[in-house]
Amino acid sequence: MPLADALAFAPGLATALAQPFEDAAALGRLAEWCNRYSPWTAPDGTDGVKIEITGSAHLWGGEPALANDLLTRLDRRHVTGRVTIADTIGTAWAVARFAQTAEGVVILPPGELRAALASLPVEALRLDPLIAQGLRRVGLKRIRDLYKMPRNALAQRFGETVAQRLDQALDDIPEPLSPLGEVPSWRVRLSFAEPITEPADLMLTTERLTADLVQRLAQEGMGARRLDLAFHRVDGRVERIRLGTARPSRDPRHLTALFKERLDTVDPGLGIEDMIIAAFAIESLPAEQISLPGHISRNEAGSIAPLFDRLGNRLGLAALSQLEPQESHIPERASVRVPVCRPHSSAARVANQPPRPIRLFEPPEPVEAFWLLPDDPPFRFVWRRRRHRVTCADGPERIADEWWRPNGSGDVDAIRDYYRVEDEEGRRFWLFRAGFHHGGHQRRWFIHGVFA
Amino acid sequence: MTQSRYLLKQSDFNETRQRVWRPVVPTYGPAKHAGSRTENALLAKLSERIKQIERPTATVHGVLPFGITATDRALPGGGLARGALHEILGAGRDEEDGALAAAFAAYILGRLTGTADGIVLWCLPRPDLYGPGLAAHGLDPARVVLVRAPRDAEILWAMEEGLHAPGIVAVVGEVGTLPGIASRRLQLAAEHSGTTAFLLRRWRDGGQAAHERALPNAAVTRWRIAALPSRPMPGEPGVGHPRWRIELLRCRGGEPVCWEMEVPDATDHVSLAAALADRPAAPVTPEKLRRAG
Repeated sequence: MPLADALAFAPGLATALAQPFEDAAALGRLAEWCNRYSPWTAPDGTDGVKIEITGSAHLWGGEPALANDLLTRLDRRHVTGRVTIADTIGTAWAVARFAQTAEGVVILPPGELRAALASLPVEALRLDPLIAQGLRRVGLKRIRDLYKMPRNALAQRFGETVAQRLDQALDDIPEPLSPLGEVPSWRVRLSFAEPITEPADLMLTTERLTADLVQRLAQEGMGARRLDLAFHRVDGRVERIRLGTARPSRDPRHLTALFKERLDTVDPGLGIEDMIIAAFAIESLPAEQISLPGHISRNEAGSIAPLFDRLGNRLGLAALSQLEPQESHIPERASVRVPVCRPHSSAARVANQPPRPIRLFEPPEPVEAFWLLPDDPPFRFVWRRRRHRVTCADGPERIADEWWRPNGSGDVDAIRDYYRVEDEEGRRFWLFRAGFHHGGHQRRWFIHGVFA
Repeated sequence: MTQSRYLLKQSDFNETRQRVWRPVVPTYGPAKHAGSRTENALLAKLSERIKQIERPTATVHGVLPFGITATDRALPGGGLARGALHEILGAGRDEEDGALAAAFAAYILGRLTGTADGIVLWCLPRPDLYGPGLAAHGLDPARVVLVRAPRDAEILWAMEEGLHAPGIVAVVGEVGTLPGIASRRLQLAAEHSGTTAFLLRRWRDGGQAAHERALPNAAVTRWRIAALPSRPMPGEPGVGHPRWRIELLRCRGGEPVCWEMEVPDATDHVSLAAALADRPAAPVTPEKLRRAG
């Protein structure tokens, strides 16, 4: 009904603007908080959260204990909820919303799906309202009425979804849960009786969690490359520290040091009640021979990896690169930056190569150049608002676009004539002119690099 | 100023030049002592003693000689101290791009990587270092790992991490501001680990440059490299042999010196192995080598 009518009915009605985006975000945060029970959580529509608790219920002492814990914590946050545990998402959804019980927790015994769904209305099958209305009009009001209907008749009249939803609810078709975040390979959780806030306590628990995880990884002979440490706060927010390493690692000191560096970005708020460490990308890491103290060989390639991890985790893994030569005449393609720790190919060093600058600008900066004759190098140019008078020059060296490559454009402006010029102070620059002289083309000059 | 197609230069076919630094004119240098031989020996012993008292761990990791007698004579220990912090400045408008400082550092690092295994960590704010340019000055780009950090504090942190890590033979950082404490920490870290550290100073702002240049820091040597007009090659128009003015502004245990050096052109860099392979048309006589001295 419109707001005016509602206010007419109840003058003391409290009103507030609907905020669908904030509501969705809050639901997402709630689903993230539910990670403490299981990594497979996702928001469900606009008013629910689905959690896959297969295999994690025993950690909480059984399904009733888990459900009660969930309800009490929601209660603490002033969120009224109903928890239903069932074999399939469809049944749990239906029973949670449409079952006429006063209890907050309903746990359906395994295999009792038909009986539980029988007395619920057809809207409980997550159908489109029009389809549900159509079903009601022909007299199919409860789900038990649908059990006996032939499937092809239903599909012909109301579409495929009715049969599909019914089969999903009755566990005849699988319906997987796509979780909110990535599902980790290993997870270790530590819950606290009292929420902690002190940085010293956080460091201690980080060490303990890392040690536990490393122990599990060592048993399997694996190393982790991506780790996520989640701090579940008392008010429901989840803070995270994400780590990546260049090589799979299960060195507890190294991983703890990487976590500790970022620990001061975590705001504990009123307290942290859970800490969960999860390992995502794990790769096999065979056992290594530890060296005797005093015999540290400095040439191990594996010993530089911790340095790259530390640098990469603070500055971003894209900040580290190596220069790899490529077979190309175009200067900016002749040497590309590649991520470190990749085996580089040794490209053949071209003998008698023309001189190349030590600093290369990406992209080349435009300059204003003055020249006498068309193919001459400039006698004066203005760069960064400073004038340079040219005393001598080498060139031109023509570098054209690589038409044999698939993404070479063959554009006229892609042809460059490079000149190595020296100004009156003695500094040497690498200028180029883009484009041809004749035609109506505009000759544009750029500076590409500075020589030593 | 005329055009010349670089690839057709005569010098490519006639001569093979070795990588040689030619000191042209030493502008000023250390004063010479006069006196008898025993006095000289006594003075030498006393100055050695004073050096040890001043700085007992000065050359504990050894030195890297330049191979040029004039430069090696000016540096204590006969070369550039390893396991120490060195500062290299540009001059004039080159402070902004830092091309000459980078080339000088590349030359030193080329010699350093030739003697030891390990990688060079080069920390810079903008990724404008060019691999073939490094190769032209003697540093193999495959031995360099670039670390890009937007702020000076992060570059200094990355340098310190590199100095503490094994497997690194040298660390280079391009910074504008350098707090004194940071330079002291870098020097101590370099001494402790034996890895050599180089600081290239780059500024965009003249005021900041003047201010920073005046600040003292804990670097063992301070160099300034300036570009000089090139020496024209006889009979060849165009850009000649590049020349630099290398100034040793400050050296712990030595005196400031200034040289004007000629750098062989980038393509004429021929290592000894290649000289045996590409035999020149005219044999390189001993007189030529001595003059190149």
